Amino acid sequence: MRTRLPIALALVLLECAGHAQQNPAFSSKVESVRVDVLVTDNGQPIRGLGPADFELLDNRVPQQVELVSFDDIPLNVILALDMSDSVAGERLEQLRGAGGGLLGALHTEDQAALVWFSHSVQRGARLTPDVAAVRRALGTAHGSGMTALVDGTYAGIMVGESDPGRGLLIVFSDGVDTSSWLRADAVLDAARRADVVVYGVSVVSRLKPEFLREITALTGGRLFEIEKTANLAATFLGILDEFRHRYLVSYTPKGVARDGWHKLDVRLKSRRATIKARPGYLAGS
Amino acid sequence: MRRLPIIVCLWALAGGSARADADQRRAPGSGMPLPQIEAVAQPRVEALETWLKAVARHLPGEDDGSLKEMAGWPNANLKDLWVDANVLSQIIRSEAVRAVTGQRAAVQFSVRGEGQKTSTAIRYSMAQLRRMTVLACAAGGVLVDSPCRAMGAGEELDPEFRQIAVLARAARLRGDDNYIMRRGAILHSDVAILAPLSMNAPGDTRPSGGVERFRMEISDGQAVDLHQSAVHWEIARMLLDFVVPRGGNRPAPGRDDMVRQWYRATAAWMQLREDHDKLHLDRARTLFPSDPDILFLSACQRETYAGAPIQTAVRSAVLPTGVVLDVGSDRIELREAEALFRRALEIKPDYPEARLRYGRVMGLLGKHAEAAAELRRAVADLADRQLLYYAELFLGAEEEALGNRDAARVAYEQAAEGYPMAQSPLLALSQLARHYGDRGGALRAIDRLFALPDEDRDAHTEPWWWYYVAQGRDADALLETMQRPYVTERLQ
Repeated sequence: MRTRLPIALALVLLECAGHAQQNPAFSSKVESVRVDVLVTDNGQPIRGLGPADFELLDNRVPQQVELVSFDDIPLNVILALDMSDSVAGERLEQLRGAGGGLLGALHTEDQAALVWFSHSVQRGARLTPDVAAVRRALGTAHGSGMTALVDGTYAGIMVGESDPGRGLLIVFSDGVDTSSWLRADAVLDAARRADVVVYGVSVVSRLKPEFLREITALTGGRLFEIEKTANLAATFLGILDEFRHRYLVSYTPKGVARDGWHKLDVRLKSRRATIKARPGYLAGS
Repeated sequence: MRRLPIIVCLWALAGGSARADADQRRAPGSGMPLPQIEAVAQPRVEALETWLKAVARHLPGEDDGSLKEMAGWPNANLKDLWVDANVLSQIIRSEAVRAVTGQRAAVQFSVRGEGQKTSTAIRYSMAQLRRMTVLACAAGGVLVDSPCRAMGAGEELDPEFRQIAVLARAARLRGDDNYIMRRGAILHSDVAILAPLSMNAPGDTRPSGGVERFRMEISDGQAVDLHQSAVHWEIARMLLDFVVPRGGNRPAPGRDDMVRQWYRATAAWMQLREDHDKLHLDRARTLFPSDPDILFLSACQRETYAGAPIQTAVRSAVLPTGVVLDVGSDRIELREAEALFRRALEIKPDYPEARLRYGRVMGLLGKHAEAAAELRRAVADLADRQLLYYAELFLGAEEEALGNRDAARVAYEQAAEGYPMAQSPLLALSQLARHYGDRGGALRAIDRLFALPDEDRDAHTEPWWWYYVAQGRDADALLETMQRPYVTERLQ
């Protein structure tokens, strides 16, 4: 039911307001696709790459990489945090502390937003450069009840979609979904269409975080499975650091269908490296 | 924000039967099982007397002294009571045993717990048997009948037991020869309902010849506790198995309306409180295989078992050896639910609440066209606001699955109109728009969700959060209706 009308992942249609104007790569009204790419060698980010270094195949058709940006593109960081019953007391404080630490590490041109979920989904703070406002919202984050992880993740994706900036969604949960209305496959479908990279942080339990594993893989992000939340702040900061070291590769698709699922292959032309990027995108939206 | 009730209890089949079977003595050579024999200690008959008075005194539906007394019994004593009340009921129901009034042949009885393959023989001393028979004379309302008169039963009873005999006789003369059985069942279900903390029976590991049950508590999809449970429900069900319907001369609880009401009301209460016991409804269906309400509640239970909270808890649970959670995979549970809903609707086609759930279950099984047809019919027939919300929400999902975008949007909008503070229709509308490439529409719908005020969002504003308990919403009224005839004629 959810396979009809494939729509573009990241058509950069750009009436881009102030935020996008900071990014010269997306200032014109050109339909292009952008792909967030992490390039590492032995775990260390490789810097200094340009368009000529990348080979990008869209449905096996080589594309001309036009722009590559690194480390200078403002971020939209969305925190989607599990506030169900199990996140209380010390864990809640650790979560607030980790969120606060991450907000403190944002650059002045970055934006942040906060979504929290238990069985209900709420936006604590809309995307804003006013990090203090997000921090205040984080301080009041509360909740109890069950876990609508899928609904909460969808809400986080939509917050990311509300702004054309470079979206990083960090989803924290210490459990699995027990009360969402939306089905996981519907939200995975939405993630295919969105231009948001999802990183997941899950507390290890007997239950496998399959949804987070899928959605992070699908968006080119990563899933961190942590034993305990004492070092959550370091995990959040590590995610931000890793994300800042990603390249934003853009191209205008040529020789491929205008809609449907597009499989992406991103490589370096001249050297071996580990590359992490979304496996494809759904064109047409 | 109001808290959701997130402690769910799943009853587990304990190792009782398996262990009892494994430990059973076998005859040398043939290997045939020998009957297990359990001798009864003296204080048990005294405990039975205490119980009989509590049963007769209890005011149904009230947390009174009798209820508190029974709630305070250790589970080991309750397991003994299950055996002794079973035997007492056998004596009351057996003309032959009643007639012998303590002769040697009657010293050994046989009991078999729910789910157990073999019986356990229970041996009473002659003095115990005589006292049990005297008590049966009172509790059965036959104190003035010739066998009991002949053994001088009345002279061995205190005034309270003589009053119980009068009350039981009055019930018999009205055609209801079930005074102790019905009232006993009500007392023990009231303990489970009104004193839920007493259902936790930690540390009671003594094997039982009768019954043994475990209970797993679940919070947000994770098992948080597993413990032995007090056997109040088991005692209640056992007593009702001895009910003789009006005009009958032998136990036939499946033809008794109070028993039917008891199962319906207690099953609804269990589902409302998320205190799930499959055995309870299995027994109910055995007794009432064609009752649409019992079938409906059975189907709802299986639908609930297929849901994420139970499925994830079962996958994460660590169970002791010999303890089994009787929960299948989500597909298996959904198929069971589908069959039970279908049967309920065959018997009672005008049952829109069953139809809406039947539609949802079929949708989850991938039968979208059939599901949509059932849900459209449910939407047309339902008047209850909450049920209509569910039907519209589920219909939206099925129309979406069928590619009927506009119909899906209309159904979701109608659900949102019925409950403007509910988040699920807004999530559904947003996701629907996003799926069809309408990013602006998706953002507008999610913004409606984000604009909902936090402080007003509770279970009254989002029925989806209560879907798995909604079928039990009338439980209190059902319990009161079932108990009302037994409020009078108590031991004062």
